[in-house]
This record gives sequence, structure tokens and C-alpha cells, in this order.
Amino acid sequence: MKAPRLRFTLLASLAMTGAFAAGVTLPDAERIELENGTVLILIENHDVPLIGLEAIVRGGAAADPKDKYGLASLFAGLLEKGAGDRTSAGFAEAAAYVGGELNASVSLESLTISAEFMARDAALMVELVSDMLRRPLLSADEFEKLRDRRINLIKAAKGADPGGLMPSYANAFLFGEHPYGNPADGSESSLANVTHSDLLAYHRDMIGAERLIISVSGDFDAAAMRASLVGAFGDWRPAAGTLTEIAAPIVDDGGRVYLIDKPGATQTYFYIGNIGVARGFSGRADLDLANTVFGGRFTSMLMTELRTKSGLSYSARSVLSRFAQPGTVFIRSFTETSTTVAALDLSLDVLQQLHDTGLDEAMILSARNYIMGQFPPRLETAAQIAGLFAMLEAFGLNASYINDYASDLAAATPESVADIIDQVYPAKDKLVFVILGDAESIRKQVAQYGTITEISISEPRFHP
Amino acid sequence: MEAPAKKIIIMSLFSELRRRNVLKIALLYALASLLIFWIVGGSLIWLGAPDWAGEFVLLVLAIGYPVALIFAWTYEITPQGLKKSLDVDQTQSIVYKTGQKLNAAVAVLAVLGALALVGERLMPTFEFPKVIEPILLAPNYEAPEKDGVPQEIRAVTLDNGLRIIVWPDHDIPNVVMYNFVRAGGRNEYPGITGLSHFFEHMMFNGTSRRAQGEFDKTMEAAGGANNAYTSKDLTVYQDWFPRSALETIFDLESDRLQNLAIDPAVVESERDVVSSERRLRYDNDNFGRLFLEMNATAFIAHPYQFPVIGWSSDIENWTYQDLESYFRTYYAPNNLTMVFTGDVTAEEIFVLAEKYFGPLPAQEAPPAIRTTEPEQLGERRLLVEVDAPTPLLHMTFHAGSAVDPATLPLSILLNILVGGDSSRLHQQFVEQEQIALAVGGFQMEGIDPGLVYLYLTLPPGADTAAVEARLLTELSRVVRDGVTEAELQKARNIMIADYWRSLATIDGKAAAIGHAEVFRGDYQLAFALPDDLAAVTAAEIQQVAASVFHRNRMTVGVLRSPADNEQ
Repeated sequence: MKAPRLRFTLLASLAMTGAFAAGVTLPDAERIELENGTVLILIENHDVPLIGLEAIVRGGAAADPKDKYGLASLFAGLLEKGAGDRTSAGFAEAAAYVGGELNASVSLESLTISAEFMARDAALMVELVSDMLRRPLLSADEFEKLRDRRINLIKAAKGADPGGLMPSYANAFLFGEHPYGNPADGSESSLANVTHSDLLAYHRDMIGAERLIISVSGDFDAAAMRASLVGAFGDWRPAAGTLTEIAAPIVDDGGRVYLIDKPGATQTYFYIGNIGVARGFSGRADLDLANTVFGGRFTSMLMTELRTKSGLSYSARSVLSRFAQPGTVFIRSFTETSTTVAALDLSLDVLQQLHDTGLDEAMILSARNYIMGQFPPRLETAAQIAGLFAMLEAFGLNASYINDYASDLAAATPESVADIIDQVYPAKDKLVFVILGDAESIRKQVAQYGTITEISISEPRFHP
Repeated sequence: MEAPAKKIIIMSLFSELRRRNVLKIALLYALASLLIFWIVGGSLIWLGAPDWAGEFVLLVLAIGYPVALIFAWTYEITPQGLKKSLDVDQTQSIVYKTGQKLNAAVAVLAVLGALALVGERLMPTFEFPKVIEPILLAPNYEAPEKDGVPQEIRAVTLDNGLRIIVWPDHDIPNVVMYNFVRAGGRNEYPGITGLSHFFEHMMFNGTSRRAQGEFDKTMEAAGGANNAYTSKDLTVYQDWFPRSALETIFDLESDRLQNLAIDPAVVESERDVVSSERRLRYDNDNFGRLFLEMNATAFIAHPYQFPVIGWSSDIENWTYQDLESYFRTYYAPNNLTMVFTGDVTAEEIFVLAEKYFGPLPAQEAPPAIRTTEPEQLGERRLLVEVDAPTPLLHMTFHAGSAVDPATLPLSILLNILVGGDSSRLHQQFVEQEQIALAVGGFQMEGIDPGLVYLYLTLPPGADTAAVEARLLTELSRVVRDGVTEAELQKARNIMIADYWRSLATIDGKAAAIGHAEVFRGDYQLAFALPDDLAAVTAAEIQQVAASVFHRNRMTVGVLRSPADNEQ
């Protein structure tokens, strides 16, 4: 076996010193790109005897076939069910025995393995992660069990807080056939279509060295960790399949309502929105300021109107989901069945108010202080730091994404924020509504918002 | 010769001093200085300036005194403006008129001073908070005494009973504050169930100084965020903020403890918010539905039976008087424990605490909870029939409080049974037999004896009785055979790793030492966990299992669709 040569040993340390006026300084990172394309990022931090690791494989649920939503997610789940010389039970035992945490999950654009181990167990952690990616057992028995369990867990979720299912319904309705409409964890009917051979093919075609990013932060010696990771991944093969580019989704014309019937529900859950922005959106700082004020904190316009002043809801937020291509912008709230229209109308009024009045200087300053004041705790632990570096690498973002953020926030003016608001937040007549509740009680009232497409929560799918 | 001449010179100097109004200026300056020192110095202290600020004012005034006198000697006011006295034609001098004006000014100042003195007497409530001498507090700081406790932690109890613990950690420029109020579900009774939680909401809704919403607006504009939660034992307020907002946080927190306003209109609107929260967490969530009824069934006497969110009818009907008396009783400094972690020093926190929280008056200790849960005589069962795509099976056993010696062995046992994918019950029920979709469990480690709680999500159409029987078999097996050394060691390792994870953030640090202080009486016990875990033996765990997993401590609850029942 040929020793891997380092293409370049980085020094391009995403040096982010002084990025934050409030005082957060990202540690220096060592970035190494192996010959097979795998990127390693190492950040030493000796605060507590823990190591956080995040391994990202590019490509995720967006690539699932239309009749097999949940394929990538099932694959990720099966990675925890045995790898290398360890059976399912043995694998779970190996991590747990030393108090380690090890999880695999899938989002639309990536598969992520997150690990957090005690420093003394670094070698075991690397062994388990490389076994998962390179030598998963993918046993047929475990596959059947996991698939059946996942189907039943979706049924169980329908009896729990319906808020948990709203993103699946909302994305399915807004994006339709576009890959971002795929329910990442699948639906009852789509999971039933996935076969064991689909998973074996997934490992061969979609998982490989050239798509892998491993970011490790914590209490270790960088040289030793680098040697360990290079030994574990340096000679790995590339994926056999190609990673298809995702096209930008088309903004919806609005005036559509997706009504999900949950008979007997005493509360109506709703999302209102449209296509939003991509992760690399150039107006990010202005948008973050606007969204903080509109629906991103306790004193936001939405919370003030829907909760504090009217008591219509416990919570009302505006959430931006950002992917490589434009994602979603949604107002999210819920209210008692009888006040459904009142809460929807008030949400629309607040959206109009955002367009009409924008943010003044004082509000921009308040939002900026809030964003900067709340930033440092997001980069407090080894696992958080590993995750951030992995995310930047996965989205192809350079250091300026972090470096320039504080100064971009500081440069925002009422005019620049107003421009971004008009650009990102849909106008009143360009909205898509996703409403889950007791349809019989609310069907007539919500017809005023657009053409209704109705589905029962007991249907085994999320798409109309 | 010399002497008389000297006298004359002195005499003429004195008369010249009088003529040039220097004496009046001297008197006027002294009076004005006293007033200025009294007003400005007092305001500075009241505004939070350090105690040397007052001395500085005094120094400036003292330096100004000779300057003013020399000025008065040298210059004279004339109709043409200021002129050097020597240049002024004595016949044209208006010093007499100026002197009269000065007399008037002296009189006015004297009257003002007298009024102020009388006013101060007449308004005994108006008092500047006493100046704090940090150095005087130092001897009262409690440093850690036990081994293994971080040496930088300090604690103090103010005269009014407020307990404060500080753990400095300068990794990030942020601070976390937890305020533990000893008021929760256990302090309630029928008619006011849910009041502790409702009060948590009202603490954000305005004071006599700040309108509704100002608390959060001020905090967020300073870069801070907050939240709060209520449990069966406590109401806990949390602030996460940049160091720069430190004094703002003290001001906000002391304001709502001192000046809370309970506006009837706001109470009504907040009832709706809490009802929405109840619908979210319980009425539209099958786990929450069953959870409320399990507690109400397992306890027949102790207030742990009440839902922390409150019964709906109580949420709709509690009164203004209920809220007011609750605030007075439970939000007294002697019923609070505050924890600060992060980018601070113990000294600055204690000085600020004395300044902002020191004036809060102590109250009589809240009434003790008299009711003890009577011994259970036989198992209890309940059934909830609602629309349920998948049935739920919950099982509880009466156990101990946070300070019960059996609590740690029981935690370890729960970890062995349901802690993660490698645990006994997950492996057996979920992976091997596939009779459950998920298993979990926890132990209430509260002020009074609580429950061990096990919960299972079952596949659609499951035979709940058969799963219950399997669960009981597994619990009996623990009682009969105990746990293995390997299982025990794994549980220890998991709990120690969790302990380190919790201490990796300033938030986790605040929670860890706060809980140890509030539930076990000493924050230092948080750091004993590694030793405590090492001391627990497999035999001890088996013993605890035998005493807890007993039918006379058990409540079994099933939630399922009515249709499932008919099949």
C-alpha cells in the first residue's frame, strides 16, 4: 500500500482572527487535502478531555429517487448497525462502553457522521468512523428491521407534536418535484419501496473519498491525529457514481394552500412562505438582521404580535433554510383551531409591516448586538468548532464567510436592509400556505388564501 | 514700630477683603460646595459610580476654593465687565451692589440647604444605597473546601438570604446567569395548579419601571437572550449574554424582582399563551397526554401529582390575588439561588449583587410542604383512549429524592436499562424482539421522593399486555440476577463522558453547580460525580432494583386508539 502524499499541508489556516468585534476568535485550523480528495481539518483545543469529529460526505437526500425518498437516510441509519468486525450490537457497545457518542444522519445535501469521544479514546473513534464509511456491514436483516421501524416511527410521529412533520409537508408542497422537496427521512410509502440492494449500490456509487470532509477539534495532538486519519482514509477509493448538480428552484407564484387534515386537532399549525436564499447569499448579513427583527428572537415583530400582544400563540418565528441553492423562507406558528384565520391574517399584516417600515438605525443596532452577543456560545465546544469548519468546507465557503460577517453586519443601513427585505420576503400575493389542523373546522376559512390541496395526515406520504 | 504697622496692614487687608467681597465669596463658595457635594456626590453613587467619585468631587471643590478667593480678590465686577480691582476707579466701583447680590445668593443657598435637610428628614424612604466597599466583602467569600472543586469558584450569601455562586471562565466573552426560584408544581394545590409556570411567564411582562416587552427589548438590544423553565420543584430563569451587558442584566433582573407589575389585561392575554403551550405540549402530543395522567395516578396525595402546566380549568380561573401572594411568598431573596458562570470575576459579581439585590427585603420562609405520599398498596393502572397511530406504554415506580442514597445507583441502573442503543431494553425490545419502536426512561431527582419513569413507543396494533409482561420480566431479571461488572463500567463511562460534555460550556457549568446547590445543598457535590460513580457496586444496584421494582410502587399506563381496544 502506497503511503499517501499530501497534496498540500495547509497553512491556509482559515485564520479568522479578529473576525468578531465581540471577541470571538476562531482557532487556527490545519487543512490537509489528501491525494484521493479527502479533506482533513484539525483544530486542537485542550479545554476539556473531549474530541469532537464531524465527517461530511457530499450528497444527500436530494439525490434520492422519486419513489424511494429516505434511501440516503436509511443508509445512514444502517451505518450504525454494524461495521468492520463488529455486529450491530457490538458496534453500539464499542462506542457506548467508553462513553462515546456516534451518530449518522442525512440532510438534503450531505451525509454526516458526528462523534464525540473522551480524548483517551481517539484511536477507537477514528477506527469506528472509518469502519462506518469504508466497511459497513449493511446486513439484510438489519436493513429490514430498520426500514420497518422507520416506517412505524413516522406513524408514531403523527400521534406526537405535529410540528415535527411540518417541514416534510411544507417542502414537499413548495418544491414539488424539485429535489429539495424530498422528505429527507422518507415517507411511509417511499420507505417501503427501498430494497437492500439499493443500499449496497448507494455505498458503491454515492460514498467515497473525493466527497469526504473530516473535521476534528479537541484535546489531541495534531500530528498524531493527522497520521491516524491519513492511515484510515488515505488509501480509500472514490465513489463510483457522479454527484449531480442541483438546479436552482423556481420561485412559486403563490396563492396555493396545502391543507393537512388531522381530525380532532385542537390547534392549527401553519407555515407561510416561498423560496428563500442560498447558503452563499451575498446579502446574508442584512438578511440576518432583518430576520432577527422579523421573527428570529423573542421580541421579534411576529412574537410581539402573535404572542405578547394578542395571546394567539405560544410561538411565532421566521425561519430561513439555506442550501447550496436557494432554500425556504417561512413564517411558522400555531394557534387554537378557532383562531386560525386571526393568526394567519395577523401574520400577513406583520409581513406587510416588515415591507412597509423595514428596520431603522436603532433596530439594526439592536439586532446586530443580539447576533454578535449570541455568537460566541455557538463556537464554544470542540464539536461545534469541528462542525463549523466542516460546514464551510462542504459549502465551498471561504474564511470571509466568518471573517467579514461582523463588518458586514456593521455596514448595514436601513436602505440596504430594505433592499434585502424586498428581495427575500415574498409579497402578500406570492405566498404558499401549509396548514395542518382539523380540516372540517377550518377548510372554508382558509380557502381565502388560495387554491386548496388537501391530504389526510393518515396518508402514507408527504407530497400531495 | 513694626507691630502697629503690621496691625494696620492686617486691618486694612481685612477691610479690603470685605470691600472686594472676598469674604462673601468665601461663604458663598463654601455653601454652594456643600450643596454640590451633597447632590452630585449622591447622584454619582446612586448611578453606580465607584465610591472614589464622591471624593473626586470633593477634591475638585477644594482645589477651586483658593482659586475662587484669589479671583475675587483680583477682579471686580464693573458695568464694563470684569476688570482687575487695581485698575478700577474706586469712586466708580459697584462692589457694594455686587455685595448685596452676593448676600442674596448666600441667603438663597442657605434656605435651599435647610430645605434639603428638612426634606431628607421628611422623606425617610429616600436613601442612597450605601456605598459598597469591595474589600469589606472579601472575607465573606466562600472558597471551595472539597478536593477536586475548581479553585476559582466563589460563593456568598447576602444579608437578605440571597445565595450567589460564581464560576469564572474566560474562554468566550460571554456570561450565563441562572436564577433558581424554589417554587414549582410541588408548591401548588387544586385551584392554582400551573401557577408557578404561569408566573414564569408573568416575570417577562412588565414592571413599574418598564412596560410589557421592555425587559426583553433591553436585554436583546444589549446582545443578551433569555429563557425560563418550570419544573415540579423549581422555576429557573436563564440569561445568556455578552460580558458587556453585565450591569444591564443586574438592572433588569433586580427590577423584575423588586417592581413586578401584574397588569390584569396582560394576565388575560398570557392565559391564552399558556393555553396554547398546553395544547402544543400535551393536548396534541400523545406522550404529553399520558405523562400528565401517569403523574396524577402515581401520586394520590403529594402535589407532584399536578401537571406543571396546570389543569386547563385552573389556567382559566386563577385570580390576581393568587398571583400577588405567590410572588410575595416565593420571589423573596431568601428563596433564590443565583449562579453566574463565564467571563466575570467573583468580586465584580458580588459587588453588583450587593448593589442591585442587596436592597430586596427578606421574607418569611415559604410554608413547608406538609403532605407526604402515603405508602402505595398494590399496583395502579390507567388507560387513555385517543386517536393513536401507535400505542404507548408507560410504567413508573416510586423512588427517592435527589439526596436519597439510592438515587445514584438507580441512575446507573436506568443507564444500563435504557441509556442509548447498546442498552439492555433497547437491544432486547427494539433490535432483537422488535416489540417496541423506542424505549426510554428517567428518574425524577427532586426535593421530595419522586418516580422512576419508563416509556415505550409500540408498533401499530401492538399487544400492550404482552409488552408489559416482557418489561416486567426484564425488571425481575435485574432484581434476581443484578447487572454485570461490564454493564456497570459502561454506565460509569457514559455518565463521566456526559459529565465532561456538560462542563464544556458555561451554560452546562451553571446548570451543574446550580442543581447540586439547590437539590443537594452544596454546589461542590457536582464535582464528586466521578468518585461517587466509582464507589457504586453491582451489589448495591441489585439491592436498589429489588426495593424499587416492586408491584406496590408501580403504576402502568397505556394510551391507544379506541379502535385498538375493540379488536
